[in-house]
Amino acid sequence: MIEFNNVSYTHSKGKGVTNLTFSIDDGDFVFLIGATGSGKTTLMRLIYFDLWSDTGKVQVGGYKSDSIRIKHVPDIRKNIGMVFQDYHLLDDRNVFHNVALPLHVLGYNAQEIPYRVEEALELVGFEGKREHYPNELSGGEKQKVTLARAIVKEPDLILADEPTGNLDPVSAFELVQLLETINNNGTTVLMASHNYNLIKGRGRRILELKDGAIRGS
Amino acid sequence: MDKFLYLISEGFKNVWRHKMTTFTAVFSLFLALYVVGLLATAGENTKSILQYLRSKYKIEVFFKQDIDYQSAKKISNSILQIKGIRSSTVINKDDAVRIFKDQFGEDILSILGYNPLPISAVVNLKRKSEQVLDASPIVNKIKSLEGIEEVRYQGSLIKKIERTYAKIMKYFPYLAVVFILVAVLVIYNTVKLSIFARKELINSLKLIGATKIFIKMPFIFEGLIDGIVAAAIASPLIFGTINGVNYLMNNFTSWNIQLSIAPVLFLWLTLLSGIISVVGSYRAVSDIMK
Repeated sequence: MIEFNNVSYTHSKGKGVTNLTFSIDDGDFVFLIGATGSGKTTLMRLIYFDLWSDTGKVQVGGYKSDSIRIKHVPDIRKNIGMVFQDYHLLDDRNVFHNVALPLHVLGYNAQEIPYRVEEALELVGFEGKREHYPNELSGGEKQKVTLARAIVKEPDLILADEPTGNLDPVSAFELVQLLETINNNGTTVLMASHNYNLIKGRGRRILELKDGAIRGS
Repeated sequence: MDKFLYLISEGFKNVWRHKMTTFTAVFSLFLALYVVGLLATAGENTKSILQYLRSKYKIEVFFKQDIDYQSAKKISNSILQIKGIRSSTVINKDDAVRIFKDQFGEDILSILGYNPLPISAVVNLKRKSEQVLDASPIVNKIKSLEGIEEVRYQGSLIKKIERTYAKIMKYFPYLAVVFILVAVLVIYNTVKLSIFARKELINSLKLIGATKIFIKMPFIFEGLIDGIVAAAIASPLIFGTINGVNYLMNNFTSWNIQLSIAPVLFLWLTLLSGIISVVGSYRAVSDIMK
């Protein structure tokens, strides 16, 4: 599903990733671990084609970085659910409309949307508060809504960039469990974290990044 | 179809969700439209004000003493043939005495024992000339006619008014274009700021795979709504302002001028408003999406 072949990228102010070569198969659950500034977010952005590698080739699904056209980027992202540390929820709409947004983007039937939104919220264990706005929710609740928004369109891949960064240990543990449940249904998950204690001993593959390069897998 | 309806409804909802930014955009649009509308109405009515002033022009022609009434009538007909002349009315010697008495309260016949006043004519200029009306050649032509003793007219006043009108007409289109450009810039920047405040929404939509058109459409609808609302507010206010000016002129001045508004102006204002806000929204979202 994801393949990096000698991929390097340098930001205009330096740092980035160097000679990354790895692959992630369909249905895998992979943790990406590394200190702040080690290149985890850059790697994620290369996957959803927010950045384009300076050298090497990134392949996601059938799309290759050396041949993909800008207009195809939305098509790739339609199959990727994203979860961020700072949620990226829209403050001007309530929980229901935040989760429903990807379905509108995909052109789902208006009758089907409430059913799917409800299903996604139930799956992440978010109860009640459908009419609440993001600023009325706790950090853990916000992250559940973000996860519901990521899975509502049943993507092939979930990219979680430090999703537990703003959560207390219990909520963080719950979130990882939720991601594992989603992965058990066949969705590929790549989760970045700098919290080794949270991910160790889970029997999952770990990619370790240091100074933009892979130090262990 | 569901997607299209969703995008339209998002446009409407955005107006409500972001009341303050909507208010700012609508207010700046309204101000620009109001001033453009008043400028256009002023331009449209400059002609009628000039026509009113022209109607006040008058050239007084005095015939030689040996010219009798019939000859004066003939000369008056010749005057009428001159381009730019609207009317020529002959005043015979008896009427001249009456006018003198009305103006000075004295009966010249009883003072002098005879009537020294010549036959004269009052000549009015054409009101509806599109061109600037220069009275000097007309006066010279009248002077060159046989039997004319003297021609009097308000030369300097006519020249001043016509010169001012010519100046206004020369620079008005440039002024209007400059003003509209400034208005477009102000509106564009206001719209851009209001959209920039929702950068997070645009970024989130990009991340979940929304196409460019999906992201832009609600903003374009929102811009269209803002434009229509601004035109809907500006139109009655322009109408009210013009009616107010008419009321003041008719009740507190001796000017008998009725300023008029071309109904098509409101259509133009709505179109202008819609186009500016839609193009502004489109450009602003495009800039942010780069």
